[in-house]
This record gives sequence, C-alpha cells and structure tokens, in this order.
Amino acid sequence: LLFPTVTFAVFFAIVLPVSWALMRHQRAWRVWILLASYVFYAWWDWRFIVLLAASTVVNHVLAVAIHRSRAVASRKSFLALAVAFDLGLLGYFKYANFFLSTADNLLGTSWIAHVVLPVGISFYTFMAISYVVDTYRGELVPASFARFAVFQAFFPHLVAGPIVRASELLPQLESPRDPRRVNVSRAFVLIVSGLFLKVVIANHLATHIVDDVFAAPNRHSSLEVLVGVYGYAVQIFADFCGYTNIAIGVALLLGFEFPQNFASPYTAVTLQDFWRRWHMTLSRWLRDYLYIPLGGNRKGRLMTYRNLMLTMLLGGLWHGAAWTFVVWGGIHGVVLCLERATGWQPSKWVGRLITFHVVCFAWIFFRADSFARAGDVIARLFTAWGQPSPLVTTSVVLAILVGIAGQYVRPGAVAATLRGFQRLPLPAQATAFGVSLVLINTLGPEGVAPFIYFRF
Amino acid sequence: MRIPENSAARGVLVLVIGLLVAAVLQAEGLRKQAEIQPSGFQRTFALGVTRPLVGVSRTLHLTTPRHELQVALGRENEDVIDTRVHITLPPPAGPFPQPRHTGTHVPRKPLFTSAKPLRVWVAGDSLAEVPGQALERVTDPALAVVGVESRLSTGLARTDLYNWFTRIQEVPEQLKPDVVVFSFGADDAHDYMGGSHVGPFGSPSWIAEYRRRVDGVTRELNADGIYVVWLGLPIPDGPGFKKSFPVVNAILESVAKKHARHAAYVDTWHLLDDFHGRYTPYLRVHGKLTLMRLPDGVHYTAAAGDLIAAQTLQQLRSVFRF
Repeated sequence: LLFPTVTFAVFFAIVLPVSWALMRHQRAWRVWILLASYVFYAWWDWRFIVLLAASTVVNHVLAVAIHRSRAVASRKSFLALAVAFDLGLLGYFKYANFFLSTADNLLGTSWIAHVVLPVGISFYTFMAISYVVDTYRGELVPASFARFAVFQAFFPHLVAGPIVRASELLPQLESPRDPRRVNVSRAFVLIVSGLFLKVVIANHLATHIVDDVFAAPNRHSSLEVLVGVYGYAVQIFADFCGYTNIAIGVALLLGFEFPQNFASPYTAVTLQDFWRRWHMTLSRWLRDYLYIPLGGNRKGRLMTYRNLMLTMLLGGLWHGAAWTFVVWGGIHGVVLCLERATGWQPSKWVGRLITFHVVCFAWIFFRADSFARAGDVIARLFTAWGQPSPLVTTSVVLAILVGIAGQYVRPGAVAATLRGFQRLPLPAQATAFGVSLVLINTLGPEGVAPFIYFRF
Repeated sequence: MRIPENSAARGVLVLVIGLLVAAVLQAEGLRKQAEIQPSGFQRTFALGVTRPLVGVSRTLHLTTPRHELQVALGRENEDVIDTRVHITLPPPAGPFPQPRHTGTHVPRKPLFTSAKPLRVWVAGDSLAEVPGQALERVTDPALAVVGVESRLSTGLARTDLYNWFTRIQEVPEQLKPDVVVFSFGADDAHDYMGGSHVGPFGSPSWIAEYRRRVDGVTRELNADGIYVVWLGLPIPDGPGFKKSFPVVNAILESVAKKHARHAAYVDTWHLLDDFHGRYTPYLRVHGKLTLMRLPDGVHYTAAAGDLIAAQTLQQLRSVFRF
C-alpha cells in the first residue's frame, strides 16, 4: 500500500474514523489498529507478516526476561540473544546474498542463496533493538505484549520510518489519545507537502533526468550529468522527506506524535550539521546504539575517528547490501573525521556550498548501481561540456530550485501557513485539501513510483 | 454545531470531505483507473462508483478545471481511454512469405556509420527499460538509440491502459527508426483485451488475437522498412509468471520466424536460466557472480540488461553492418 494511491486513501478513510470510534475502548482499538497495520503490510507480501509477528514475539519475550532477571549475566545473555536474533534476521534477509556473492567471487565457490528482502525490515528491526537495549539499560519498562505489537507494527512508520523510539511511542499507547487535542492543521499541511514533494518534485526529477543520466551517463553531456546529480540530491530528499511528512501527518490524525526526521538538510554548514538534519531518527539511533557504545569521543582522538568511520560505514551498509553504499558511508566518515581534525568552522554560505557538494558527490555512489557506473558519471562531469543538453529543461531546473529553496523557507512562514489553514472554516479546509490533491496528481507524472527508502 | 479546530472529528471530516471533493474534481481520472484494473470484483465495484461520479462531475462542469490544467501541460489525453487496435494492413491471404534464398547470392547488409547511424527505438512495458538503457550505453557511434519508452504494466493486450498501437503508428514519422526493439507480454496475461473479452488467457481465441496483434505490428513496421526485434520474456521466479510467459514467448517467436528477414526474436528465457534450466538470480559473467534479477524475480538488473543488449546487437549485426 503506497501512500499516494487511491487504495491507501480508501484504506485510511476507513481506518481513521473507526480508530477514533474505538479509542476509548483500548483493547478493541489495539486489535483494530494491529489488524489495519498487518493488512497494510500484507498488501506487499502476506508471507512477511509471519516475520514481523516473529520479531514482535521474540523481542517482547526477551525484553520481559531482561526486565525480570536480577543477575547481570543472565540480563546480558538475554540481551545478546535478542540482538543476535534481530541482526540474524536482518543479516539473513538483507545481507545473505551480498556476503555470499562477495565470498563466491573471492573463493570461486557457488553458495549463492535466493532470498527476497522483506519491505521495512531494516526499520522495524532497528526499533526492536532499541526496545530491548533500552530495557536492558533500565530506561524502559517493557510494555504489555499488545502495546509492543502495536508499537512495532503501527502502519504509519512500518515500512520506511521514522525510526520511532519505544520511549517516544509506548507512553502514547498507555492511555487513549485525547480527541480534543489533535493537531489537524499540521497533519494536513504535512500530508499535502509530503505528497507534493514525492509526486511532483521527486517523481518529475526521476523520470525526466535522473534515471536517464545514471542509466547511461556516457550518452549525456556534462551539463546534463551535473544537473542529474543535483537532481538526484533533490529527488532523494523529496522522496524520503515526502514519505516522512505523510507518515507523521497520518500518525497525527490518528492522535500520535512522531519525531521529526528532516530539518532542511541542504542548508547544513558542515557535514556534522548535515547529519543533525538528515534522517535524524537514523542518525540518533546510530549515535546512541553504535557510536556511543563503541566509545564515542571519550577514548582519544584516534578512537574517535575509528568510531566515526565504523558508524558511517555500517550506516552505509544499513542502506543497502552493496559496496557502493559502503563507499558512500566511507566518504561521509572521512569528511566527518577531517572536519573534526581540522576544527572546520566555515562561514555560513561557503560552508553550505561545500557541504552540499560533498553530499552530492557521495550521492553518486549511493545512486549508481556499480562502481563502474559511478566512475562514468564522475568522468562525464568533466569530458562532455559544450554538447547539447535536451534533458536540462525549465521544469527540471525549476523542480531542483523548488526542492532546494524550500529548505530555506523560514519557520515563521510555515507557522503562518499553519495558522492560515487553522483559521479556515471546515468546508474551506476540506476543499483546500481536496483541490491540493487534484493539483498534485495532475502536476505529477503518470504512474506511482515506489519510495526509494522502501528498498532499505 | 461548531466542530473544534483541534479535534479528531474535524480531522475525520476534513479527510472524508476532502477526498470526496478530490474524487469529484478528478472523476475522469478515477474512471480511467477503474477501467484499467484487471477484471474482477474490485474493477466492477470501482466502475460502479466512478461512472455516476463522472456523470455528476460533468453535469456540474467540475471536470473542467483539471482538464484545463492538463491542456496547459500538454497532457489533455491522459484521461482518454483509447482501445482501438491500429493495424491497417490486411493479413496476407495465403501463407506468410518466407525468406527466399536464390542460389548462392547473399544480399549485402546495409551499412551504417557514425555519419548515418543505425537508429534504434526501444519500447514496451517495464521490462523494456533496462535493456533499452543498456543499448544506450553501447559506445558505438554507428548506433543511435533514438528513444527508450517504457510504460509500467502496459502491453499489447490492455489498450485501455495505454494504447501502444497508436504510439507505434506515430513513431516511424517522428523518430525515423531503422530498428525497433519491443519488450511486451509480461503484463498481457488478461482474459480480455482493450475492454472486451477474448476468452481465457492462453485459450485458442486469446492466442489468435494476441498473435494477430504481434503480427500486425510487425507487418506495419516492416512495411515502413523498419526491422523489428521482439525480446522474449525471461524465466521468472514464482509459479504464476512461469505459466504465462511461455505462452507469450511462443507467439513472439513464431511471428518473428514468419517474418525472418525483417524480424527477430531474442530468447531471454534461456539467456538468464541456470545450467539446469531453472531460475537463478545470479549468473557468472567474466568469472564473477553477478546479480541479474531484482528481488521480484522478474525485472532485470543493469548487468542482465547488458547481456540482453549484447544478444540483441549480435542479432542486428547479422542483418546490418555497423
């Protein structure tokens, strides 16, 4: 079930009113929302709901065991078991082919397995790990099984995040949400802005320049390749931020608050700043469950650099089972280390320009399907100037400019939009919402492209 | 009764009324979406809802704003359902003409150079995209890919979803290709074509109608001097496609054979299977295990595209010099 489809609109138009009707009867509500979430997930492939259910059962049982154990050794054993189960699940479904094919190519064997990647597994597995680790740390008391099941499967965040922490969502599941405190204006503004980013900006750039440039860079001029690289930077932001905005908006209408996932990342002055603004729920997960446990910056300079590199390399691998993603993470790791080593404090606009271009350079490896293709893209940036560039159209340039300029919109302007929408009478709000949907649908290209982060 | 600003009731009402407003304004688009769904309860239900919706919307002139916007964007035909099968040449009266070999005389292959390259147009469903892009990557100045048009879930059966016959008619004039490479059939396993039933998929009547369409397209393009390459469907993972793909492949192959001088069939099924003739996501290319298929078990990776492009080029080099 993709957000920008009629099927999802119908699904949500049924789920939302029933959810509020049952809200005061928490047991019935949990059954309803769990059912809706499993239907939402089964729409891709019903077989994977077994995996999701297994992850829920095992993590809950082990979290309870951790909580009830007094002895440190047994607590540690249960934690190790839970983390091993989660990483094993992720390792098998996401990385088995990657590691086996790498081994096969090194050793000349043929061990390749045939494993299909279940959608959303990277997201719900990370949420489960944070749940058991927080329980082990004593920061969390395990919830009831039904609440934990809803926490892990809740459909707005299920397939592509944001990676919500147990400490953020479980307390909201403890008691009925207040139907008099729903931020309706923010929810609809988020949903509409998310749909616009995904359907109009991301899909337009994908179909009009990015896919062509990255498929056959040698057929395109340097200008087309350069605009294609900028286009991808905007496409991936619009695609993922668009998804997150819709997810947060949908959750808000259901009465739940999700954490923010993006804060104008292309306005970052340094790469460290970028990671405070890009996929923030993943950044903080990596910080709290990988970088800090590795020692963070507490064990001297060299160890700090090692920890940074490890975190970014594994962060790269989290995105996809390919060496190109590792290199993407490696580029970020190296630049983060350099920034730290030199104490880089650029002026605002110089920093923004340099950071944006470092990020764009790294995106080449993220988007290209092989190192050869990434090399072709980079080489082509320098070798085909002056050739005709039919793909660089006004609409493509406009989409890129809107995607970047939108990040410089002041928070005051967003607040004013929210206030404006809030002041409208109900019929006007509904009409504005309906007209926006039609405009977005008409302006976007035909068809529904899946979200990029569904693959991760 | 005033509904408070920050209340769940307002959220539900804005959502439901907003969706209704959108449905009325976009009734034509919704009706098309309903029409192009596979037959079954969902389609029947969607048509039952959208037909009266279109009536109301048209009566109130509420379809006009979206249509005007589409006109401004140059996409005024987006909501139009065109099911006509444009095959103007009548089928041959007798048996299909066979390639004639007159003694030892071998006709000279047409020569293409960087000054006058072989113009290739690639088109079809989602399976056309990757091989098309692979052909674009070929660095031979005597080969020019003039376009890769890939439309998700389309084919030669469902003209109501997208009418390839109309598009194919336009192409000789617009793009002047010497060769067209088609990848069709993956999404053609429907019991009806262009809105009308032709019998169950794979039945004699279905096969006859699909063959008529494939053959008609081949003859029309051949008549314009265009060589046609039909890419077969690859061996899929999973039982459903394993039944339907061979039916389509048999038709594509037999039509290509009947027009052997001006058409060819590229067998991707056996190009991508393993030693035992089974599905495999990986193949060894230059000694390296290489991923060939996407997780859905049907679509190609770029490496598979390169293999298919190489096979296609080999076929083209047997007919043309470039």
